[in-house]
Amino acid sequence: MTNSTVQLWSEGGTRTLLASRNRHTDRLHFPPIKETSPLATDHELVSVPSTGTLYSYTVIHPNPKSGLAPHALGYVDIDDAPLRLFGKLQGSNSPAIGNRYRAIPDEQFGYVFEAINEGVKP
Amino acid sequence: MSQTYIAGAAMTTFGKHTGVLAPDLAQKAILNAVKDAEISLNDVQAIYCANVFGGMILGQVIVRDLGLKGIPVYNVENACASGATAVHLARHAISAGQYDTVLVFGIEQLTQLGGGTIPLQLNDQMTSLYAQAGMVLPAVYAMRATRYLHEREATRADLAAIAVKNRFNGSLNEYAQQQSETTVEEVLASRMVADPLTLLQCCPSQVDGAAALVLTTKDRTGRRPVKILASVVQSGIREEHNDDILDAEITARAARLAYEQAGVSPAEVEVVELHDAFTIAELLYYEALGLAEKGEGVQLLRSGATRINGKVAVNPSGGLLAKGHPLGATGVAQMVEVAWQLQGRAGRRQVDSPKIGLTQCTGGGIAGVDHAASSVHLLGVSDV
Repeated sequence: MTNSTVQLWSEGGTRTLLASRNRHTDRLHFPPIKETSPLATDHELVSVPSTGTLYSYTVIHPNPKSGLAPHALGYVDIDDAPLRLFGKLQGSNSPAIGNRYRAIPDEQFGYVFEAINEGVKP
Repeated sequence: MSQTYIAGAAMTTFGKHTGVLAPDLAQKAILNAVKDAEISLNDVQAIYCANVFGGMILGQVIVRDLGLKGIPVYNVENACASGATAVHLARHAISAGQYDTVLVFGIEQLTQLGGGTIPLQLNDQMTSLYAQAGMVLPAVYAMRATRYLHEREATRADLAAIAVKNRFNGSLNEYAQQQSETTVEEVLASRMVADPLTLLQCCPSQVDGAAALVLTTKDRTGRRPVKILASVVQSGIREEHNDDILDAEITARAARLAYEQAGVSPAEVEVVELHDAFTIAELLYYEALGLAEKGEGVQLLRSGATRINGKVAVNPSGGLLAKGHPLGATGVAQMVEVAWQLQGRAGRRQVDSPKIGLTQCTGGGIAGVDHAASSVHLLGVSDV
């Protein structure tokens, strides 16, 4: 199974994160539902904010034999949208609940969450 | 509707059974359960085999050489809740009058997977995307633990205390994979896996084992009969954006239904085997199972009430953390332990004369739900 065919970001200048909105319930679904899904006709593609607040997180410490560095993962509650997304956290060595993050496109994972420097307007 | 009794119970030791084939491992548990029930294999009318990673028709592979006469074999998979789900289905058939004597067994050989975390079910867009980003079950539980430490008056030492309690219990259990005690200091100093969960707070990933039960409409062994008072399997409801990840919603729902089915209150339960795949899980399940009020799980732990000699002994077998967690076998083995406890057959880890016991296990492996499956059983013992 691959997600290469799932469109996570809008095309064009300012790329925005995409979700599927159920036309009947308004419920959002992420990642967006594929066009080939039998559920597709009940959904439409909508843009959602890419910023949000960290709800919880962990730092994974791979087995030292793997040679891989520790990395942070978390759930981010997206601003003004009924969505909680899971993803990689970047840009801070010490994540904390309540920290602000922004989803940015990532070639390998589709998106990652980058820590927002609170001193700078997002 | 026929009542269902656990007439026979047996299990293998849980541990590394390297090089042992599935039939050799599972047949030990099967033959001992049949002997325990004081029946012969020919009395068995149907077989339920619980397993996750053993491949197709594993049940038939295991029983082929037992001389059975072509009775139905049902292979059951529900991730870590497979064993409990098999018991649930077997009880359905007995309740409906389809059979009066069945065999349920669970088996898993995780050493054959080579270690590491259990893979998620990737045949799904959301789970595949999240797994690509790094979602594994230790991460899911670790995020619950982070939130727990954030919201509750709890410390990392409290998490470690779950491992200490269950490893102590495991030190009394000759069937357990880990039979040595540990300390809070040792648990916290062990290698960090998924912060705040250290290695000794995760159930061992390299374990094999099998467990078996004979279920009947009437226990003829002369022992105090163990009756299945309630049997519930529930599936995960798709998560909402504002769910409280400390709720363990699916397990709370399964427990509520089980208590209703049995006409039993949580306060009456004296022995529990629950799904402590990670230390945080036991703290969450104290509340989900109604053993503690919401927000008071850590106080229940600190009070000592969940030790073997406490008001409600939790995981006297050592639980998944010490006894081990061979997925398909776990739900069956939990009921083996509780049946032994209710009949006073649990040796050095015996709880003081319990009358009602509870087992709970969850099956994970997909994104977007609390867990894919959760099963709660209530067992009760009565005088002969």
